[in-house]
Amino acid sequence: MQFQDAVKLSIEKFLQGKMPNKLAEVAEGGALYHTPEYFDQLEEELLGEPVEKDKGDKDEK
Amino acid sequence: MRNSSPIPGANLLADTRNYAWHRPPDIVDYDAAVEYIIDRIDDPFQSQMVMAMLDIEAQVSTIVSTLLLQAVSTGKMPIDLAIIIAGPVARYVEILAKDLGKPYDMGVRDRDEIIITPTLLKQALGIVEQEEDTEEVAEEPVVSPETVTGGLMGMPDEMVATSEEQDEMLGGADITETDPMVEEEPEDEL
Repeated sequence: MQFQDAVKLSIEKFLQGKMPNKLAEVAEGGALYHTPEYFDQLEEELLGEPVEKDKGDKDEK
Repeated sequence: MRNSSPIPGANLLADTRNYAWHRPPDIVDYDAAVEYIIDRIDDPFQSQMVMAMLDIEAQVSTIVSTLLLQAVSTGKMPIDLAIIIAGPVARYVEILAKDLGKPYDMGVRDRDEIIITPTLLKQALGIVEQEEDTEEVAEEPVVSPETVTGGLMGMPDEMVATSEEQDEMLGGADITETDPMVEEEPEDEL
């Protein structure tokens, strides 16, 4: 499998809302920040509702 | 002939520290890696490059792999972590493209896309049950080797020799009369 194919597969799985099972265990703090739900919320804030200044600065990062 | 291959153990003496991906990576955490790539996308120069690639209708997966390969080649993150964060980075590029009103193609299979397989096609056409009904094993007729008469190499019916003729053809009839094993010794005339 080429790198490009692996990237496509990873994108496909993430868009389906899937993430590696053991990823949260090795993450610092035991919890992940950039989850599919986070990006859904970010999209909703950027495209749908007006973004608050404090949160917008963090989200735009 | 000169042997140009390396000698055994040459890899243990080679200095590979100059390659960035041979050193420990700078980022090993998932969230930190995503933050690093998103920061790079938000960088004015990188942002222009991403927008330019979207303008030339490059797929989002291609843009993401370009960004990740840059990070891997500079030793910022290992390649397996780069593959893991490809999804979040692609999602961020997608949101940016939507925000700027640019058309984009993710470059991956749509999640609602139905893959047409031969089984699915048979089910749609309703030919699966018919196939099961017609799946009868045709029994091959048992043909003994003695009854093989037709064909190019088969024995013709009318030319079957009797056992006496066969003995004669094989020389069986002559065995009793002139047995080659029993040879008469020439009489010594001397």
